[in-house]
Amino acid sequence: MKNCKKTYRNLVAFLYGELGEREKKNVEDHLKTCRVCADELLRLKEVYDAADSLNPDIANALAAVDWVNLPAHIADGIFNEESGRVRQKSRSGLWPFLFQPRFRLAYAGLLLGIIVGAFLTFLVFRTPSFQVAEDGRIIAPQGFYEMMELEMARRDTIDYLDKSEYLLLDFVQSSPEKSFEFWQSDSASKRAADLLSKKKYIDNQLDKVKLAKAKAICDQIQLLFFELTQISEDLSSEDMRKIQRFIEERQLLLKIKLVRKELQKSEV
Amino acid sequence: MARFQESVLHSDVPEITRMQTENRNLQHEVDSLLERVIKGDREAFMHLTQLYQKKIFQLAYSYFHNKEDALDIVQETFLRLYQKAHMFRPGNNFQSWLLSLSKNICIDYYRKHRKKDNEFRRDEDIEGTSHSSPDFSHHDPSSDLKDVFSRCLEKLSEKQRMIFVMKHYNQLHYREIAQVLDIAQGTVKSLHFKAVRNLRTLMSPYLGRMG
Repeated sequence: MKNCKKTYRNLVAFLYGELGEREKKNVEDHLKTCRVCADELLRLKEVYDAADSLNPDIANALAAVDWVNLPAHIADGIFNEESGRVRQKSRSGLWPFLFQPRFRLAYAGLLLGIIVGAFLTFLVFRTPSFQVAEDGRIIAPQGFYEMMELEMARRDTIDYLDKSEYLLLDFVQSSPEKSFEFWQSDSASKRAADLLSKKKYIDNQLDKVKLAKAKAICDQIQLLFFELTQISEDLSSEDMRKIQRFIEERQLLLKIKLVRKELQKSEV
Repeated sequence: MARFQESVLHSDVPEITRMQTENRNLQHEVDSLLERVIKGDREAFMHLTQLYQKKIFQLAYSYFHNKEDALDIVQETFLRLYQKAHMFRPGNNFQSWLLSLSKNICIDYYRKHRKKDNEFRRDEDIEGTSHSSPDFSHHDPSSDLKDVFSRCLEKLSEKQRMIFVMKHYNQLHYREIAQVLDIAQGTVKSLHFKAVRNLRTLMSPYLGRMG
């Protein structure tokens, strides 16, 4: 009786010949001595026989099919271009072709190549970092110097435009009669002179970093200041008014503001 | 029992070797046919269909007990084969792969078409008889064993029914069924046992007085 549970679990496999030699022998030995399991096997055998009752139906159904012509019939349905269902769905188009398992190795190689290539590209083109020379000096990468120059040019230009704007604003707001005195005053002439000398300095920088728009407006301002400081004593009040009007009409102050704003936005 | 005894009788070594050689030859033939099918060779496709059409039909017929449904399944299986031939890995068991396609189609087909019939039948049952097990008391016992059995078989879960059909009617080994269903061999054995035991429970009211 102690083997009943194990035998019971194996009865169906025994009935269908799915047990190994040893297990089969165990079940057979147990069945000789255990009436309960032997009866159970008989009941399971009844199910087996009942299942066999469908066999004649299956045999009849098998006999009723035209097996010779069926493959051609199925093939017609698939290969016939008029129905053409399969060709359109599965064989046409690039994707099914590309995703064939036989390309797996090629895709794996391609993927590996992309990864290695990306890594090498990273190594070659990555931004070089600062290096310390043997004597302790820090050597910056080339890109860093270029960025520094651009940033300095930008800041100097903004400073130049700021100061020019204030000076022009003071000039525009002064009355034409007093313009002569304004330009002869130490304060204004010194500011203009400072700006003219600063312009010479930033010219070099602007040429290098190609800030064309900023350079154009700086050139206009330079010319204006140059004329006002050099020839102001020969100009009448009327001439001064014309220059003030010229500054307003050309919206020089507005242009200065716009260029300055652009430069501030493009911080390096 | 007879099949069991046959398998024991035929388990001599030369016979096994002969069968293994035949299997290898068939596998080579199938691999080469599949290669041609992938290239769109109609003749190869027809040859492959010829080789396996009866097995698929037998599986489908045992599952549905209806010739037209079984033929639909055969057709759909070979259509699916044509579409997915490139996915078969050469060297694997082709029959298992094909039966696996067929099994999926059977289940889909059953869910799509037959469940409605069963729901209709169940509504009829509710009006009259208990549906825990089929009532055939008013039928002629000598002719209705297969009807009782068919309806009991339909009451099994999808997996148990499929395993029973593959084992009993297609005479596949547990190992092959496990490949088809992509489950462990032990699970197949256990589910087969449960299927037979459930069938016995469902049929117990009739087994004594039929046949």
